[in-house]
Amino acid sequence: MKIDVFRAKGLSSVFLAFLLILTCGVFMGLKLKIDDITRNKIPGASIIYIPSGKYLKFGTFGNPSLLADLVYLWAIQYFSTYTIVDRYENLDRIFSIIAELDPRYLDPYEVGAVIAYYEAENLEMALKILDKGLEKNPDQWIFPYEAGQYARFRKEYELAQEYFKKAMEIEGAPDFMKRLYADATFMTVDYKSSWETWMEIYQTAEDERIKKIASNHLYRVKAAIDRRTIRRAIIKFHEKYGRNPSDLSRLIRAGFLKSIPKDLDGNEYIYDPKTGKVGTSIIPWKR
Amino acid sequence: MKIQAIALNTFKETIRDRILFLLLFFAAVFIVFSRLLALLTVGDRVKIIKDVGLSSISLFGVLMAILMGTGLVYKEIDKKTIYTLLSKPIHRYQFILGKFFGLVLTLSLMLLLMSLVYLIVVFLHTFQIEWKMLIAIFFIFVELLLITSVAILFSCFSTPILSSVFSLSFYLIGHVSWGLETLIQKVKPGFGKTLAQIFYTFLPDLENFNFKTEIVHDLPIPSNIYSFSLLYGIFYTLFMLVLAMLIFRRRDFI
Amino acid sequence: MTTVLKIEDVHKTFKTGFIPKKIKILQGISLTVEEGEIFGYLGPNGAGKTTTLKCILGLLFPEKGKIEIFGYPHLHLKAKERVGFLPENPYFYDYLTASEFLRFYSYLFSQKKRKEKIDNLLSLVGLEKSADLQLRKFSRGMLQRIGLAQAILHDPSLLLLDEPLGGLDPLGRKELRDIIVRLKQEGKTVFLSSHILQDIEMICDSVAIIVNGQIINQGVLRDLISEKILFTEITLSGISPKELEISGECVSDQGGMILLKVFDEENVDKVLELVHSREGKIHSLIPRTETLEDLFVEMVKQR
Repeated sequence: MKIDVFRAKGLSSVFLAFLLILTCGVFMGLKLKIDDITRNKIPGASIIYIPSGKYLKFGTFGNPSLLADLVYLWAIQYFSTYTIVDRYENLDRIFSIIAELDPRYLDPYEVGAVIAYYEAENLEMALKILDKGLEKNPDQWIFPYEAGQYARFRKEYELAQEYFKKAMEIEGAPDFMKRLYADATFMTVDYKSSWETWMEIYQTAEDERIKKIASNHLYRVKAAIDRRTIRRAIIKFHEKYGRNPSDLSRLIRAGFLKSIPKDLDGNEYIYDPKTGKVGTSIIPWKR
Repeated sequence: MKIQAIALNTFKETIRDRILFLLLFFAAVFIVFSRLLALLTVGDRVKIIKDVGLSSISLFGVLMAILMGTGLVYKEIDKKTIYTLLSKPIHRYQFILGKFFGLVLTLSLMLLLMSLVYLIVVFLHTFQIEWKMLIAIFFIFVELLLITSVAILFSCFSTPILSSVFSLSFYLIGHVSWGLETLIQKVKPGFGKTLAQIFYTFLPDLENFNFKTEIVHDLPIPSNIYSFSLLYGIFYTLFMLVLAMLIFRRRDFI
Repeated sequence: MTTVLKIEDVHKTFKTGFIPKKIKILQGISLTVEEGEIFGYLGPNGAGKTTTLKCILGLLFPEKGKIEIFGYPHLHLKAKERVGFLPENPYFYDYLTASEFLRFYSYLFSQKKRKEKIDNLLSLVGLEKSADLQLRKFSRGMLQRIGLAQAILHDPSLLLLDEPLGGLDPLGRKELRDIIVRLKQEGKTVFLSSHILQDIEMICDSVAIIVNGQIINQGVLRDLISEKILFTEITLSGISPKELEISGECVSDQGGMILLKVFDEENVDKVLELVHSREGKIHSLIPRTETLEDLFVEMVKQR
């Protein structure tokens, strides 16, 4: 039992306890107030200097992969912080650091490219990241595959074609890679290679489904080739006579076409003399 | 008056502590070494010197505060010098405050010296004296006030090693507690959430004193945050000191 | 005569160990110290002497009991201003010099003419030559002296000394005893704890004996120890031991020199007569009264 007689003159426990609660309340209130003030900075914002990965490795004292993980985790947080408006400036540098520290860590390449493509809307950056991924991991077809896809979305068909070719050549790449390559080739208006590739796919297909897909593509390629031929003839006709031919046979009579090409199934193409457009009688996928 | 006497004595005690000069030496080395680090970077080199310099001042300041603060009260008890001191007509709270202010005086001096080295190094690179840096350093000082009070608090009842661990934990928690806010947002509203929020508000937020990045990169800082942060630091320090006084009041010295 | 220090029924228990085990050190201590006396607080090691002192000074808080100094509650600053304390095995700030140290403590009191006071004090304890020497370089004896200096720095009316004579050489002990007696002559009250009984006996007016946390005896020393002569020790020569047997106990016989222990005053006279008649020689005659040691041993035995 504590004796009150021993109370020393000065600060009593009651007073101190009161002071304790008071100061606690004040600083907690202040903290809430401070939280409301938005600050421009978030830890690590606006990094202007970044050490290169090579030198950074020395600072890790034998734990480069750990540092890679940490930087990666931080990067994900960093890039999802919308208030840092210039956060994409160093995207590829940051991801190249992660690559230097732990080149075999695959996720960052993919995620980095995703961020670059979808959020920073920078195809070049995305491709650079994926290139690095492939460079360090030549057995990963996923990197050129995704690169090809991104290129394709942006209608950079030549690039896409290159990437799909690379992907195609990697051991273990799935079948569809070849088809993507062929398709991209088609889109680059290199109908010849496209036709050849699709033919190859058609002939080597073990699956009915794939055969069907290949034949549809072949149809499409032929249709494109044929349309091109016909359209060239129509234009020449138009130049000479100042109007579109009433039907395609006129083109033969005028000497611009040797014969009217038919589609892969042997059907005729549809021609509209008013607009001069040539189309297929059916949609390739519905065959 | 009496607090002053104890404070001056503590100042003498800590200034003569050899560990202080070791740390000061390292701080100076770091600041100068930043020059070397600048060579390794891709980008603006002066910024790295500024940032490394400020971080060194902060880091070594904290180390000094913890290493010296945790020994302050413990040493007096362990060496029994406290017997004759407390038998004099002084209140125990005067002892605590005296120790606190004495150490703060020492840390101020150390901070001043480090700042001088820092400004000189920066000057040699930019040929400008960047006075704005002093704002960042001032808030490093405020952070050190708080850390010192925590170290002294632990020193009242714990050995230096344990106290150092606790104080360091306080420092680390203080720098990551802001992350708790985002976590809490994901919790469903209810009693648990409110409890977590109260807990979050109570935890120290040392980021409130961290203006290093903003000042180095010349980012705009809302003006009212300075006064709020300063008050936050003062009241949290007061809280710790009052707690130390309470714990020390009825302590038996066997 | 005013009561300077009054302790009433003080109990102190310590809890030690990880699983708190209660050890009761003080089991109801009560004593009074009057103004101007030298009070001896005796007991074997571990009896609770130092614990009592710490309770008086506010370094420990007893769970029960009352302590008053000069009529004030013992923790009151007015009380503390008039109390000086010298702990056992004193340690002081080793990074300070002797004068820095005294100067620091003097700032804890309101004092004037500090420098003068400190210089005088240092000469009083014989340390004027070591004024600028760091305390870490002081010897044990020197530390004791600076300890005494800080205890009397503010001219206190009550001095509490915890085992002040332990570890001192005979010269040091004499010096300290003289200082204590002089302080008494100046009107101060001295309370000292010790387990060295000879010194206590020499200078104390009152004593209290504490054993196992309880005061088993206290009072004015002269009252406690009877003046009764227990026996007389006579050293003589020239008489054969056989003749002395009836009178006393022959303790030793070395080449004619006989040490005789004689009980009863009558036998002393008989021995003296015998020596005188045989023309022998008395070398010494020492009556032995009850000493504090005897009292102490008896008290402890009773427990």
